[in-house]
Amino acid sequence: MSKQQPVGLTKGPGATPREFTFVSQDRDYTLKSGEFVVYHVDVDDQDRTILARITKRQPLRVYPDAFLSDPGVNPDDVAGLLGYRSRAHELFEVSATVIGYYDGDMGDFIDPRVPPRLGLPIYLATDAELTHALNKKRKGDVGAAHIGSLLDREKDRVPIVLDLRAITSTHLVIVASTGSGKSYLAAALVEEMMKPNNRAAVLIVDPHSEYGTLAEMVHLEAFVEAAYRPEVQVFRPGQVKVRASALTLEDLCHLLPDLSEKMEYLLRRAYYEVRQRSQEKKHRYDRWTLEDLETCLRELAKGGSEEKGERYGSTADALIWRLKSVLERSTIFDDSKNANLPALFRPGRCSILQLNEVDEREQQVMVATILRRLFRARLLTTKGRVRQGSELCLPFPVFVLIEEAHRFAPATGDVVSKGILKQVLSEGRKFGLAVGLVSQRPGKLDGDVLSLCGTQFILRVVNPLDQARLAESVETVGREQMDELPALSKGQVVIAGEAVSTPLTCRVRFRYTPHGAETKDAPAEWMTFFDQGGAENPPLSEGEDHVADGSTES
Amino acid sequence: MVIGKIVKSNSHIDYVCQVYGPGEVQQPPSPGHYAFGTFVRVELLESRWLVGIIHNTLLHNPEFGRLGPRLSPKQELAVFTPDYLNEKATLVGIAAVGTMNTAGQVVQGVPSLAASSDALVERMTGMQIRSFHQQEDSPPRLAYAPLLLAQGSPLAPHLLSRVVAQLMSLFPEEIQLLTVIQDDLIWKTQIGPLGGVM
Repeated sequence: MSKQQPVGLTKGPGATPREFTFVSQDRDYTLKSGEFVVYHVDVDDQDRTILARITKRQPLRVYPDAFLSDPGVNPDDVAGLLGYRSRAHELFEVSATVIGYYDGDMGDFIDPRVPPRLGLPIYLATDAELTHALNKKRKGDVGAAHIGSLLDREKDRVPIVLDLRAITSTHLVIVASTGSGKSYLAAALVEEMMKPNNRAAVLIVDPHSEYGTLAEMVHLEAFVEAAYRPEVQVFRPGQVKVRASALTLEDLCHLLPDLSEKMEYLLRRAYYEVRQRSQEKKHRYDRWTLEDLETCLRELAKGGSEEKGERYGSTADALIWRLKSVLERSTIFDDSKNANLPALFRPGRCSILQLNEVDEREQQVMVATILRRLFRARLLTTKGRVRQGSELCLPFPVFVLIEEAHRFAPATGDVVSKGILKQVLSEGRKFGLAVGLVSQRPGKLDGDVLSLCGTQFILRVVNPLDQARLAESVETVGREQMDELPALSKGQVVIAGEAVSTPLTCRVRFRYTPHGAETKDAPAEWMTFFDQGGAENPPLSEGEDHVADGSTES
Repeated sequence: MVIGKIVKSNSHIDYVCQVYGPGEVQQPPSPGHYAFGTFVRVELLESRWLVGIIHNTLLHNPEFGRLGPRLSPKQELAVFTPDYLNEKATLVGIAAVGTMNTAGQVVQGVPSLAASSDALVERMTGMQIRSFHQQEDSPPRLAYAPLLLAQGSPLAPHLLSRVVAQLMSLFPEEIQLLTVIQDDLIWKTQIGPLGGVM
């Protein structure tokens, strides 16, 4: 039971069956929108503390406008002149939505389904009540992720501890405008996953190389316990390969956009032919090389019947030229090497796949191939259809965090990664394959993908299109919290969905490791340029661009 | 200065005072002494007064409308029927807005005690008005303002405006505060009737 003084008395039912209103003087200005209050009722002969969230407050008493006409005169003094000297001149009608009482056995809130009776005292929920009710887990528990503290209360008074089990089974999405702290939050979440109480197997797809600083985890005390110390592997672009034969026909078409119908036909025939030959020779579909595909294309061009109009010589040449220009020049495709999943994934290991110098289409193909193989590996492993030591044997759940997710599952247009991403989001739970998506443009993210993520982290979102997409795809976040989104500050996040008991607004905790995506201070750097004496004026045209590592780019 | 006596009441807070005419007192009051908005006090008990404000003036003239022939010329009336001349009277309405006593205790609002017939009505001095509105060092009070406005009379806002104007001269240190009320009243009385909205 709350020992405090009540903050108000119930007035009556609200606009919806789960809403009620109460009247309060709110002398200390504590009843902010989003704040939690409680009342006590008997439910099935048990005293229950019902938690409710304030959604709106409106004044019941206001001074006449004329009292406010002179900024130099306090309206209280005008009221005093007229004989009204009470301190309690302000009175508010506060609307609140019932969340329910927390049932420890159910691990969820139960709605009492009866609004509070008239005149019932309403209390501000205590920190202890909120800590108990809002968190499914306690700090340090297995599967607990301490991500920050409740924004409505003073910093660190009510810790927010997420249920990692929910995240790693029903996926998560982090959305925010640029510079709102989404990668900071994602990194903090990964830190929690890598702590001794969780020891997750994580892969981060990092198109901007922002997560490299997580490598410092291995030296920090917070992550070390007895024999456990997390591993962090940072893969520079080109270090992790995709074998050419792992590419699907769809991948190839995606890498070679705008193929003519004839080219597509020839490529399809060559693709199936080369797979067939590979199977006959090596009993595996996926052991062909780019050279095999090229040979097959030339043979098809030669074997075409001119009478039937099958003249493919120039088409085959054009296809081969395009294949070579894309695949041979690429740093990520290889004839023989392929990303070894057991090397990327292992409990207590965080692999960071930096893709900052990789073409966007290649990034999409890479994510698609990795997700496809992961899905297959987890499916085969859980069904016991793969032997120990195989590159498809992953006997533990894995989590993949994908930055710039709108690149891999855009709202408009088809990209190769979208289909497999949807499949992972809808079926991955059964096989212990979870995905975390991070995007600065929810408006450009596929609506199905967004709504398939069970836990949503929404930081400041200003763009109306992004807000509309969130409103239509994220049903767990109420209208009032959606309205708050543009007003959130850096590091403040609305969390809703499976990992929390009820939607809440959280202040993200400080990271243990340094942030790797600091915003550049351009004016300061311009000043530094001059402070250091500037540099000689280079000629207007130059043959080669010298890059820092000594190589040159033409 | 005594200006007249209570002759009637319309309600617990609305009294009618007959102003002394020529011959009734040594120095009868001039119209300026019982003007609209004048603060007056009416003796209740020993050392306790009802405080009121003149809110209306009525002229009583029995001769008005009597169109028949006169048996006596007007000059002879003073000789044969002097009482007839005294039937003309000036009546002022007084709105009771509080009480005060000699010890300086003030109650603003509906007074609990009522005045009696023939009670003397005295015009208040500036010092007395100031005492009625301000006790020691506390800020001035105008707690009877809603009572005046609640009368429903079209003259009520004008009356309150007149009162505030007096207080502005009596409390120059509070002029900014009083101006807020005064401006609102002027808007309501001057601009509002012509379509001004607030």
